[in-house]
Amino acid sequence: MSSSIAPTNGGRLFGDLLRGLSGPSGPESRSLGLVGPGVHPPQPPEHCLRLCLGGSVDAIPRRGCALLAGAARGEIPADALRNGRCPAGCAVAARSVRVNGEPAVLLTVNGELPGPAVAGADLLGQLDRAQELVQRVDELLAENAGFANEVLQNYEQLNLIFDLTREIAQITESRAIERLLMQRLARLLVGHGAGVCSAEGEWRAAVADESAAVAPAALEAIVAQVKAQRQVQVGTAGNAAVIAGPLARLDGRVDVACVLRAPGAAPFGAGDMLLLESLLTFGGQILSNNTLHERLRQMSLEVVRALVAAIDKKDHYTSGHSERGGFLTRLTAQELGCSPAEQQTMEWAGLLHDVGKIGVPEEILCKPGKLTPEEFEVIKQHPRMGYEILRPIASFELVLDGVLYHHEYPDGTGYPAGLRGDAIPLVARIIHVVDTFDALTSTRSYRQAYPIERALEVIRAEMGTRIDPEAAEAFFRAFERYRREQPEDFHVRFGALRGGTVEASP
Amino acid sequence: MSRILVAEDDPHILRLISLWLTRQGHTVVEARNGIAARELAQAEPVDVLVCDVNMPGLDGLSLIEALRSTAHVRRGVVVLTNRWDHGDLRDRLAAEGIQVLPKPFSPTRLSEVVAALLAAVSVEPGGREPGAT
Repeated sequence: MSSSIAPTNGGRLFGDLLRGLSGPSGPESRSLGLVGPGVHPPQPPEHCLRLCLGGSVDAIPRRGCALLAGAARGEIPADALRNGRCPAGCAVAARSVRVNGEPAVLLTVNGELPGPAVAGADLLGQLDRAQELVQRVDELLAENAGFANEVLQNYEQLNLIFDLTREIAQITESRAIERLLMQRLARLLVGHGAGVCSAEGEWRAAVADESAAVAPAALEAIVAQVKAQRQVQVGTAGNAAVIAGPLARLDGRVDVACVLRAPGAAPFGAGDMLLLESLLTFGGQILSNNTLHERLRQMSLEVVRALVAAIDKKDHYTSGHSERGGFLTRLTAQELGCSPAEQQTMEWAGLLHDVGKIGVPEEILCKPGKLTPEEFEVIKQHPRMGYEILRPIASFELVLDGVLYHHEYPDGTGYPAGLRGDAIPLVARIIHVVDTFDALTSTRSYRQAYPIERALEVIRAEMGTRIDPEAAEAFFRAFERYRREQPEDFHVRFGALRGGTVEASP
Repeated sequence: MSRILVAEDDPHILRLISLWLTRQGHTVVEARNGIAARELAQAEPVDVLVCDVNMPGLDGLSLIEALRSTAHVRRGVVVLTNRWDHGDLRDRLAAEGIQVLPKPFSPTRLSEVVAALLAAVSVEPGGREPGAT
């Protein structure tokens, strides 16, 4: 939106006003008019309109006399007013006024052609009154336009703020949040450039219009001032107006947000300072929350990694099993169209599904050869142990289903709950497929690894009994897609299995 | 010159929209309610109708319904509504090609939408472009 808007067209209002002052028509009638570059549409005196213009204001350029044509440009041509008569012979008097910031001409015409017409004191007195009124109305119109501009600009700002708050909530990457904030600030503050100088002195431009190109060195002073006082500051950088304010960070230091206007534009004012201050406070909070959220996520990830390392330390034979479990679970979840958040949760569940093995005695877990029924009963405790290990960690609430139920079978013969079919949570059904696949393709103390194709056949044969068909089909599709679309990555992860065997784990 | 009919029951908002669109070079016809707007459009067709939803007598959506499939509104309709109803209404009217703007309106957005409607190839009722035989 343009920052300066011309006042509205008040032509008709002036026309009504002047007609009201003109008095009754007749032989002694007189009419007032107002024309000039700032009067839209032009309001020629009733006499001119009827006698010369054929009733149409659009005819002024073609049929208007020299006086009217000059007046339409805002001038009173000296020779056109000779003897107080217009070129058509009417008595006429004219005054210069200003309308809409431009020169305009107030005209009064007296007498009906061909009757007598005299420009007397009466006519001039009327012209004086009209002049006063026209100027007063012009002031009011300008004032009204000023208020309207103010309201329109506030509407624009409100919309930008509404949009910003809505959009910012949808972004999770800190730099992207900062960039959006700065772009919106530049628009709100009618700036041509915007950027952030970090507490460490690194510049990140968000809006860079060439007209506002300023060397960072020119901004050093104001940046230092903001850092020292932690308040919004206004100033200049070269010929450009600049406004800068603090963007508080979680570590207590401040980044400095700067918005520039191109040279020649108006300096920033108190309203701009207030707006910048409140939006930087808001933006700083959003950025800090985002950083906290990111840290929390990072910490959860570290806890997951630590737990996975603990499982692998305990059970050498299944080393890498957790990592592959997480990877394949995510791949399958993706294939099923799960949201990114669900994929993340499922990956973690896939990583952590065997965490309960930490609670299984090593001589049972790593026993070469077949287990006794009693020993197998102990092994069967691991989903519940995993569940109990993770349950106190609030941020792992969503992975518990996957851990507790990953040994349930569709036919109800699984453990620990003996759930059937769809009663088994999807994540657990997926993990069970992935777990089976990884177990089959790994060398165990009691047998060699199966080749991939044979492992897939075994899974297919158990669909409906021990393997959930929906999860298995999705797993097959995801696995084939991965093998087809990322052959190199696939080779690194599963290549050793292609020959049908893997070397025995140490 | 384009002729725009603005129907809005709040007189100040009406004046503001009218003022803003006049400055963009449009000829604006003002209506304080839906019934007046319907009569004005039926008396002389307009290019664009800008209307509020909540109006006494004939509300905005009924007004659009009343003027639909006639040549009284030649280029298109812009609906203004409060921010809470905005999302629902926008989705509902999108199929009909009607733009919905939240109030308080963004002047820039309003003039962009009006300009886009005026710039689009107009299609006469019945699907024929003007001039097509």
